[in-house]
Amino acid sequence: MSSFLIRRLLQAIPTLLGITLLLFILFNLVGGNPVYHMLGKNASPAEIVRMTHQLGLDKPLWHQYLDYVGSLARWDFGRSWETKQRVTEMITDGLWPSMSLAIPAFIASTLVALIIALTAALYRDRWIDRLLVVISVCGMSLSMLALIIAAQYLFAFRAGWFPISGWEAGFTGVPFLILPILIWIAASLGSSVRFYRAVFIEEMHREYVVTARAKGLAWPRVLVHHVLPNAMIPILTLVVMELPMLFTGSLLLENFFGIPGLGNMSVNAINASDFPVIKAMTFIGAVLYITANVVGDALYAWFDPRVRVS
Amino acid sequence: MGPLIFTPPVRLASIHSPTANARPSLLRWKNLLFPLPFPLKRGKGLGVRGVLLALVATLFFACTPHQHQKNVYRGALGANLKTFDPAQASDSYSNQCQFQVYECLFEYKYLTRPYDVEPCLASAMPEISDSGKVYTIHLRSDVEFQDDACFPNGKGRRVTADDFVYSIKRMTDVRTQTFGWWIFDGKVKGLDAFRKESENLPPFPDSIHPALYDREVEGLRTLNDSTVQMTLTKPYPYFKYILAMPYAAIIPHEAVEHYGEEFLNHAVGTGPFVLKEWRRGLRLVFERNPKYHHGFYPTQGEPGDSAAGLLADAGKPVPFIDRAEIYIYQETQPMWLNFLRGNLDRGGIPKDNYSQAITSEHVLRPELAQKGIQLNRLQQLDISYICFNTDNPLLGGNKKLRQAMQLGYDVETVIDRFYNGRGIRAQSLVPPGLFGYDSTFRNPYAHYDVEAARKLLADAGYLNGAGLPELSYLTLANTDARQRGEHFAQNMAALGIHIKVESCTWPEYLERLRRKKFELVGASWQADYPDPENFLQLLYGPNAPPGENNASYHNPEYDALYQRMSVMPDSPERMVIIQRMKTILSEDCPWILMSHRTTELLTYDRVRNVKPHPVLEAPLKYYRVD
Repeated sequence: MSSFLIRRLLQAIPTLLGITLLLFILFNLVGGNPVYHMLGKNASPAEIVRMTHQLGLDKPLWHQYLDYVGSLARWDFGRSWETKQRVTEMITDGLWPSMSLAIPAFIASTLVALIIALTAALYRDRWIDRLLVVISVCGMSLSMLALIIAAQYLFAFRAGWFPISGWEAGFTGVPFLILPILIWIAASLGSSVRFYRAVFIEEMHREYVVTARAKGLAWPRVLVHHVLPNAMIPILTLVVMELPMLFTGSLLLENFFGIPGLGNMSVNAINASDFPVIKAMTFIGAVLYITANVVGDALYAWFDPRVRVS
Repeated sequence: MGPLIFTPPVRLASIHSPTANARPSLLRWKNLLFPLPFPLKRGKGLGVRGVLLALVATLFFACTPHQHQKNVYRGALGANLKTFDPAQASDSYSNQCQFQVYECLFEYKYLTRPYDVEPCLASAMPEISDSGKVYTIHLRSDVEFQDDACFPNGKGRRVTADDFVYSIKRMTDVRTQTFGWWIFDGKVKGLDAFRKESENLPPFPDSIHPALYDREVEGLRTLNDSTVQMTLTKPYPYFKYILAMPYAAIIPHEAVEHYGEEFLNHAVGTGPFVLKEWRRGLRLVFERNPKYHHGFYPTQGEPGDSAAGLLADAGKPVPFIDRAEIYIYQETQPMWLNFLRGNLDRGGIPKDNYSQAITSEHVLRPELAQKGIQLNRLQQLDISYICFNTDNPLLGGNKKLRQAMQLGYDVETVIDRFYNGRGIRAQSLVPPGLFGYDSTFRNPYAHYDVEAARKLLADAGYLNGAGLPELSYLTLANTDARQRGEHFAQNMAALGIHIKVESCTWPEYLERLRRKKFELVGASWQADYPDPENFLQLLYGPNAPPGENNASYHNPEYDALYQRMSVMPDSPERMVIIQRMKTILSEDCPWILMSHRTTELLTYDRVRNVKPHPVLEAPLKYYRVD
């Protein structure tokens, strides 16, 4: 198992370097000269030369790339062009608001999806199953933006059931998070329910299920005590793979509900062409994604020894 | 709101307690409030009930709207605030917020028009020498900085003339990387040399207050503790406005030294408010500065101000409000809904919600007026335009082609479609509200006339556009800018001119302007100070890129007139010169003139003393909230 893990980690290094190279090339191609952004329209040519030198932009490209990788290794993303804040501090500030929305929303949506998928699998090909599948497909088809605009207008403004927008730290902030969490659940249910349902149905046709039923166990007990644990491998994999997405925050939800998280920060950075922030978010997102991949593979290998052998 | 949320679980604890059975009335009461759709056995079901009660209670308090409070103002910002460092106050949001905390020697008069300034930290208007070049300014001796950890014992000290000199020197220091150096560039004797020398200083934070700052600059001297003397290179009549810009705000050197590179996150000023909370992306909270005693509500206004109740507080000490909460909205919908709900005292009208607020007759909808909402209109001191690169042989060498393109562009539709009619077609680059604006002035090419445009195009040698290569139009990569670009291309296509719309990021846009790598570019300009010079310099030959003259326009007569006009005080003679300059530009057509925009703001009538001002966008110290 440890050699498998070491092998996967070593494989991740060139992937990560590839991502840094891609980021470097992309932002050098489309980013424009940061000096103009930092000094504004009225900078003199001498100031531009000075700042270009200070930022190391007069060095050869390969040298700039090495500097870039070095700074990433030191976890130094520099300062935002727009606000002049340290990017690491900006990320630290935005992490908790993002997580306060993403973690409960993710847990709740996963649990609700599992319950609905189990129910659909239990009543397979009956009207309940069909209804749930139709609702799931509808959920997948609805754009998140439409859902947010409609829910914010109807439930927060018209009905007054929730605050329209805002965020507070601690328990006082709970009311502000309810509607965004509900929207998150509604928007994410469709694809998860369909996937989980397929996994459950596949498991329900295994021999051990027939045996359990033959022994006289009730369906709910078979589902919860036998099918669910065995279906956990693909479910866990999916869940682990989705975890990195939580870091980037929900761009739209945070923006519309005024949650000062990482999604909100990323949207600002994109609107303002604030490349240090965009680069940092892309890089950290990639690192987390690769990590999740390794963890997912490890879990698979842990549960299924055949993976290790292959 | 916070502690109340915890109240229901505390009550539930008593239900769980062994004595709960002795209090059936309480249970009955709760069942009435929160009837359950299924029976619960006492004891076993209380946990479920507790969870439901907590949820309902949470929802109940969530639904409680923000209660309007007297003397608390709630406003909105449409974007994140970047910084509280006055040297970086390059956008209107920064200006709005910094004016609450920082002050300059002079400030804009709130009620009177035309726009002018009055003393703020200065005790009187400057004494200007006969040459117009030497400004002697006396500072008030009774103003102190707010209390802050950067001062010994946390107590703010008195503001002196040295603080002004320090603030300007810091702004001049190349390492500060200010966007605002241009306000003093070439204008104050010795300051450019100081800036040049600052290039040799070690980078921040190695020397935040270097020895160089102690060296005297010829044009920036203190005569005593409360008098400063500035010597200008030319008699700039608009210099008083420059001393009222946030870039020229007075800051204490202790704050810069104490906070170092993080000074941008702190505000230590002399203004009417102190920054109590700043959560980026969420809100700013200002509270009354207990050390602020030098501000008073204006006693003079325009005709009609008294009838409008704007002089009811004349002469009273400001601020009137105790606290201001400014919420940040990245999207317009939550801002709009919060305003309609009454959670905000003031807000703009989003483009998509315009018809919900304003009728086709351009008046406020009655249902909003009934809610106590008032409409405030403000003519912005700005201009939007499309700039030709006159260095381009094709565009620069063919005046008739430029005139034809201006005539063939349906700007009125742009104003209607993209600005909901909030703007007027520009006839010159000087906007209404400034000296030099003449509502009767007509530019012969600033109207939509396709036939005349076609004729001019043929005269230019391109009948129906034949022989004309495709031209590129540069704009920013945002939806509105691209849509306007497509509309322009569509209008030009009707003349037979093919336009390719190119969109790019802000840094690339700046770089291409500086390097003249464009053919046509969409741009706009907002006044830095209320003097026509601020607009007329945009086409002054020596200001060609990397300066502000993006068109690279050069006309010897225009340049000579600009040099005369820029050092003249407002007078009939100056007006004649400006009219001539506008006529030259009309004929030469280096820009396609578009619009001077109008801003519309909605305010609840509980907020008093509201009079829109293009520079003082949110003068909270004058507002009263009942």
